[in-house]
Amino acid sequence: MGFEKIIFYFFAAILVVSALRVITVRNTVHAALFLVLAFFTTAALWLMLEAEFLAMTLVLVYVGAVMVLFLFVVMMLDIDVSVLRAGFTRYLPVGATVAVVVIIEMSYFLLGGFDNSKFTPVKHGVEYSNTRAIGNVLYTDYLFVFEIAAVILLLAIVAAISLTLRKRKDTRYQTPGNQVKVRKSDRIRIVKDMDTES
Amino acid sequence: MYELAYDLIIILLKIFAILIPLMTAVAYLTYAERRLIGFMQVRIGPNRVGFFGFRMFGLGQPIADAVKLMFKEIVMPAEANRYLFVIAPILAIAPALAAWAVVPFGDGLVLADINAGLLYILALTSLGVYGVIIAGWASNSKYAFLGAMRSAAQIVSYEIAMGFALVGVLMAAHSLNLREIVLQQSGGFWHWYWLPLLPLFMVYLISGVAETNRAPFDVAEGESEIVAGFHVEYSGMLFAVFFLAEYANIILISMLTVLMFWGGWLSPFEGIPLLGAATAWIPGIFWLVMKTFFFMFCFLWFRATFPRYRYDQIMRLGWKVLIPVTIVWLVVLAVAIVAKLPPWFG
Amino acid sequence: MLENYLPILVFIGIGIAFGIGPIVIGAIMGPHRPDEAKTSPYECGFEAFEDSRMTFDVRYYLVAILFIIFDLEIAFLFPWAIVMNEMGWFGFTSMMIFLGILVIGFIYEWKKGALEWE
Repeated sequence: MGFEKIIFYFFAAILVVSALRVITVRNTVHAALFLVLAFFTTAALWLMLEAEFLAMTLVLVYVGAVMVLFLFVVMMLDIDVSVLRAGFTRYLPVGATVAVVVIIEMSYFLLGGFDNSKFTPVKHGVEYSNTRAIGNVLYTDYLFVFEIAAVILLLAIVAAISLTLRKRKDTRYQTPGNQVKVRKSDRIRIVKDMDTES
Repeated sequence: MYELAYDLIIILLKIFAILIPLMTAVAYLTYAERRLIGFMQVRIGPNRVGFFGFRMFGLGQPIADAVKLMFKEIVMPAEANRYLFVIAPILAIAPALAAWAVVPFGDGLVLADINAGLLYILALTSLGVYGVIIAGWASNSKYAFLGAMRSAAQIVSYEIAMGFALVGVLMAAHSLNLREIVLQQSGGFWHWYWLPLLPLFMVYLISGVAETNRAPFDVAEGESEIVAGFHVEYSGMLFAVFFLAEYANIILISMLTVLMFWGGWLSPFEGIPLLGAATAWIPGIFWLVMKTFFFMFCFLWFRATFPRYRYDQIMRLGWKVLIPVTIVWLVVLAVAIVAKLPPWFG
Repeated sequence: MLENYLPILVFIGIGIAFGIGPIVIGAIMGPHRPDEAKTSPYECGFEAFEDSRMTFDVRYYLVAILFIIFDLEIAFLFPWAIVMNEMGWFGFTSMMIFLGILVIGFIYEWKKGALEWE
């Protein structure tokens, strides 16, 4: 067993354990943090497949951004565990259906002869840049999909704003532009001191 | 197997060759901060602690501080989340140090010469926010929580501007590799990216200050309102680790600014007839360190000069000023590069 | 390529050790004399009024969501930035359309006041 394999199994073990902890641990914040660990080890595994760009982006976007939002939500929303548990039996049929479908799908692919040779990663030299390879095809061959991604992101912006933005009547805004523009003469008036004059 | 062990030992030695000077720099940055701000405010600053009975301008101060912190009690607040409380400072310092793995100190003087170097640094710096959030939440203290949330929102806001500024550097250098980014800038002072990317350089520096929660963006600490922010409950060595992470980040940001905008280890006199030849013997690392010192000094200078921003001003600056500026400049830069505009992109 | 990442793996390990080390030293060397006043959450000398984990303004979530969107945008910009000089005007146009769509979103959130803090 080579050194690379040892590292692979090391990360794989952490990934499996942390993924299990995500759904078994009680505290929601702990669960979110285990999910962070799971993403991080996934990135390490992708890196071992020489998918540099994807691995880094996984850390950057999922660990660095998506999970921060998750943490914001679970830390600040005061989630009542008992209320969540009350819905457990109600949602069980739906959840179970999804789980069964996923299991069937996965076993269909895995049992139907997993052609290992097809998925063996190609080894590249030191000079190979994964990011460059992606860049060369993403903006030309996959142009349409790429622009669709922009539209989806636009949709996400609009959706996020319409869902969360609520104007309260009692809030007061400051207009920094006006604050900067203030001159001395707007605020103070110099008056002669009567006492000393007389 | 022996080969691997040999490799690992070499790697470890190299890591310590980076970390020991770095930690010394961190220790003396705290000293420099107190002395310099002292001078700027017409005070003396710490000047007592020396070695072997000599005062030596107080140079022993950081070591004395470290020893003092070692013997301080680590107070674990009641109802704090014990594990997360301890993990938070580790999460703060590990990315701050690990980012140094791809920083080149000269042509070929780099621990890990990876192609995605800049992406790696951006990914690791985006992890820094976890230390803050977890510390604030685990402390179970109102001040800590408020500080953590404010600072997390601030860090993520400025990370966008920072990312856009980095994209500009990539466009100019066509590479994610930090060594190549520096080499692309060769050709003398006027070829360094600070000039063609001037707005992006300003944005990067400002968001660098904001990312490290330094004054004038230090509402996370804001001692006049929320005492010390996210690390209010931390004491002893737990606090020291946060402190180390903050200063390691300052040095990292300074060095990255130099590498990406100020020609890294390249000599400023390159290409100048007499001066260039006369200073050619100076090793590149000297220039790199000198330039980095300048930006570290700037961090201290800002702290002594600017009053703290209000929170709405910080968010406004990040979203409404820095991001539009970077987007506009990216478009300008893209046109310049595709049109092969001389002198920089010809 | 992978051999370049070995130092990084080791460095991350050392970084974590560098965090744990001082904490262990501090825990061993420092005294342990907790008492009720010392371990109570700091609140300017008062007893804590209420649970410190309170709900927050929804604005913070909005910032986090917008951050994710812009972070994704940056992730899309990275590969483009390093190959754009080879692609010429075609690559330029495709990215300008992408950026244009997102700038519309940016203007929308600006006009809606999502970037205001009061």
